This record gives sequence, structure tokens and C-alpha cells, in this order.
Amino acid sequence: MGTLTGIERIHNILKRKPVDRIGLYEHFWGDTHKKWSGEGHLGKDEPFEDHFPFDIQECGALNLVARLDFQPEVIEETDETILARDGNGAVLRRHKLHDTTPEHVDFLVKDRGAWEEHIKPHLTPDPKRINFENYRNVKKRAAERGRFFAWCGINVFELMHPVCGHEYMLMGMAVDPDWVKDMVNTYANLLVDLMEILFGQEGYPDGIWYYEDMGFKGRPFISLDMYREIIQPAHKKTVGYAKDRGLPVIMHSCGMVAPLVPGMIEAGIDCLQVIEVKAGMDLLQLYQDYGDRLSFMGGIDVRVLYSNDRRRIDEELLLKIPVVKNNFGYVLHSDHSIPDQVQYNSYRYFIEKGLELGNY
Amino acid sequence: MQDLLEQITVCIERGKVNGKSPYPPDMRGQDGADELVSKALGAGVPATDILERALIIGMGNVGQKFSENKVFVPDLLMSAKAMTAAMKHLKPFFESGQAKHKGTFILGTVQGDLHDIGKNLVGMVMEGGGWKVVDLGVDVSAEKFLEALKQNPGSVVGLSALLTTTMVNMEKTVKLLKQHDAKATVLVGGAPLTNEFAKKIGADAYSPDPQGALNYLTDRHSRN
Repeated sequence: MGTLTGIERIHNILKRKPVDRIGLYEHFWGDTHKKWSGEGHLGKDEPFEDHFPFDIQECGALNLVARLDFQPEVIEETDETILARDGNGAVLRRHKLHDTTPEHVDFLVKDRGAWEEHIKPHLTPDPKRINFENYRNVKKRAAERGRFFAWCGINVFELMHPVCGHEYMLMGMAVDPDWVKDMVNTYANLLVDLMEILFGQEGYPDGIWYYEDMGFKGRPFISLDMYREIIQPAHKKTVGYAKDRGLPVIMHSCGMVAPLVPGMIEAGIDCLQVIEVKAGMDLLQLYQDYGDRLSFMGGIDVRVLYSNDRRRIDEELLLKIPVVKNNFGYVLHSDHSIPDQVQYNSYRYFIEKGLELGNY
Repeated sequence: MQDLLEQITVCIERGKVNGKSPYPPDMRGQDGADELVSKALGAGVPATDILERALIIGMGNVGQKFSENKVFVPDLLMSAKAMTAAMKHLKPFFESGQAKHKGTFILGTVQGDLHDIGKNLVGMVMEGGGWKVVDLGVDVSAEKFLEALKQNPGSVVGLSALLTTTMVNMEKTVKLLKQHDAKATVLVGGAPLTNEFAKKIGADAYSPDPQGALNYLTDRHSRN
């Protein structure tokens, strides 16, 4: 087999059809670019996908905050953090000096009434929510470089908690499941309506990548039964929208989500990403259990990478790549993203060695 | 009395807060922890018995099931809510000294890290296990942990970190606390952590889940 383009390679990998090598893609913390470009390895504005032989280019183009015109209201600012209310009515504290997810300080929405009054009426498929130009430019660039163009959308689990926080959302699933189902349904319909507008005007991507974070250390936030009852209908709708148009679907989730994988397969996903080892995910076990039905991206322990120890990197790759490459359904990626503790040369070694092992 | 305590235990374990709560669906319309604890106190059941023979057992049961992936976060949150409703009635007994906590647990997410979900779950389970929890919040400096330990001598300290980039601050905090008091007990937890890391930085124990932390302290408590 000759050398495939990124588009051809990822298309085949998502269908577990023969390819020339395993795929390659990665996510990085913002601080990593700063560090590596400061060290002269990357140009200041050079994107990672232009520097490394990545097969995928992503583009997110939607703004799903409830009140689009709301200007974030700064409540408190220190040298290190900023506390602000956003267009979802959430008060979040963010770190100014480095990448981290925000602290959930307070939420306007804690129950069904506040959701119906303050958020739901705003969630209309307004074209102002779409950055058409960004989508057009990234799509063109991906096509020019032969990369698989993945349109990325945040899916319902990750859309709800910025509105009401994890605790109210998860307690709502127990106390008032119909309220959470209404949020799920509202966001799923909004996503589909916006995709219709975007793709109708700008054309389809090569595939769709939905982002969810449904797990944490050792377990998912919810049971498989609760997933099937509350979240899966939205996944079936949004994944089904893509599949009806011939678009493969990658599903991201951080954390331990192995118990939910059967439900995500029922929803129709083609590939699971990111398979977070430190949360308890086991790439080899997933491959054994679902490798005939599902492709995988990730599952390489990033702690090994930031040890910057080539012997450990070799061991991790040798343990996993020769196994998971067997069904042609694997894309090399860390189990989360690359922090700035990973030295540039360690990462470079990781992908060189990984692709060497991943050749067919 | 035993029957009442058993009913309270079930309410805590199942997350039945009060009579109005629709959760769990199969207990709809029944009294919850709120009413039953009030009833028990009215019937002359000592607060310590309610705490030790009902609340702690109920919370321990749900924590254990959580560890075994038999229940999930919504269940644990509802149990914690039921526990809060029950503890509201016991507060005066703690204030008067008639009921006592097992100890004080100082809790926080280390500096540079703003994650709080895991920390909050640990706090709920520790409180449910009979510990007084002093929650310092997120992005807590080593010095602030030390200050809290000085204010609450003999307390156990729990450090949480989700980010690999903030694990270094965890090490700094452990060192500072141990320099102040070599016997201070420091527990650590969080997504990127392991037993090996906990040992390397001098922490006393690592737990992958809230119940593990509580079990560690309960074992130690029963040995002392």
C-alpha cells in the first residue's frame, strides 16, 4: 500500500479498514506551545498540525452560551485569578497564569424553574452562534494539506454543566430527571439545527468529533442505566444526524467511562478518544472487548511522556501499539493532552517510535 | 428505637432527604432523614446514637457502594444532602459537646488548581463519616494549609490535585506541613496521583476514592 493522505487514513481507521500506518493526532496545553516555541522548536505562530505529521485538523465553530450578547461581568480580579459571571449566569473563577478548568463558584440555574426562565428561551439556532469564516478557512486548509477535517461540537453533558454545574446537574438527574431530559433535548436539537445551517452553507466536514467529559477518576459520573435513560437519546440524535449523512463520529470523554462504552456504541459512535489511563481506562482491555466495533484514539499514559524517559516511552508503546494496530482502528494520541513538562525531544521521539511500530 | 435508627440509615443510604423529596421514587411520600432524625431526638434517642448507629452507617454503606461502582455521583450527592438535613438537627449537640466529631479534616485543592468536584465529594463522605470538615476551597497555598493546621492542631489534612502541573505544589505543601509537625497526617488524592507519588512526596496515604480516605482514617482511629 502506498502512502495515504490524512483524510484517506483516518477514513479507513474509523472503519477499521487497511491503512499504511496508524493515525497520528494530539492535543496540547497552551503552555506547551509557549514553552516549545520559546525554546525555538516551533515558530511563534506555527500550529502544531503544521509542525508534526498530524492526520487530523479540528475546527469548532459554535457559541452555545445562552445569552450571546452578554458581556462577561468581572466580579473580582487578583494577580492570578479572575472571577466573572458569564452569559449562562455562571460565576466561574479562572486562572490567568496557566491553563486549567475554572472553579465553579455559583450558578443562576439550580433547578427547572431557573432553566426555563433564564436559559432555555435563549437557546435558539441563531446564525450569530456560528463562526462561518473560521469553519471555511480551516476546512480549506485541511483539504490543502490532505488532513481529515473534523468539525468539533460540545455535546449535551458538557453543555449542561456550564449552566448549572456538575452538582446541580447530577442531583437533577436523580430528583427531577425530566428537567435534565429537557436540557438534554434542547441542546441536542440546537446542535442539530446549527449543524444544518453551517453545513448547508459551507459544506460537510470529513467527520464529526463530539466532546463529552462523562467520567472522572475510577468511574463515570453516572451509571450506564442513567446514561441510557437521560443522555443516550441526545447522543443517538446527534450521532445519528452525522451517520445519516455518511459522516463518521469520534466521541471524546475524559475520565473513566468504560462502563458507558456499550451505550455509546449503541448511540452509533465510530471511535472513542481519549482513554485516560490515570483515570482507570485500559486501552488493551477496550480493544479486546470492543475492537471489532470501535476504533480508538489515545490511551497512551501521558505520565510516561512527562517522565521524559525514553526507556519508559518504549515500554508503553511496545506494550500497546503492536496489539491495537491489528484491526487498523487506532490513532496514536496521549491519554489526555501534552503538558509543558514533556520535553520537545521526548514528544518527537514518542511519535517517531510510535509510528515506526504502527507501520503496516 | 432500633427501628427508627434503621429507617434513618436507609434514608441516608438511599438519599431520602425529607418527605417532600421525590427521590428515590420508591420512597416517595415517606418521611426522610429530616423528619426521622427530629422524631428520634423527640423520642429521646441520644444524638451520639443517631450519629454513630444510623448516619455514619448509612453514609458508609453508600460510600462503599460508590467505591464498588454500584452507585454513582448522583446517588452520593443525594445521600450527602440527606446527611446535611440530618446533621442540622444534631448541630446543637455538637456545639454543647454532647456529641463529638471523630476529628477534624482540613481539606483543599492545592495552589494553581481550581478543580473542586473530587474535593467536595471527599468532604461529603468525611462529614458523613463523623469528621468535622474544614474546607479551605481551591487554589490553596501551602502556607494557608499550614495556618489551618496551626488553628486546628491534631487535624488530618487532605490535599487534592487534578492537574499534573500542580502536583509539585502538593509536594511543597506536604513538606511544609511535615516540617511544622512530623506527626501530622496528610492524605492526598486526585486524578494524576498514585501510591508511588504519595510515598515519594512524604504523604501518609493516597486514596483513589473518598471512601478509601475515610476507611484509612477509621482504621487508624480505631487503632489509636
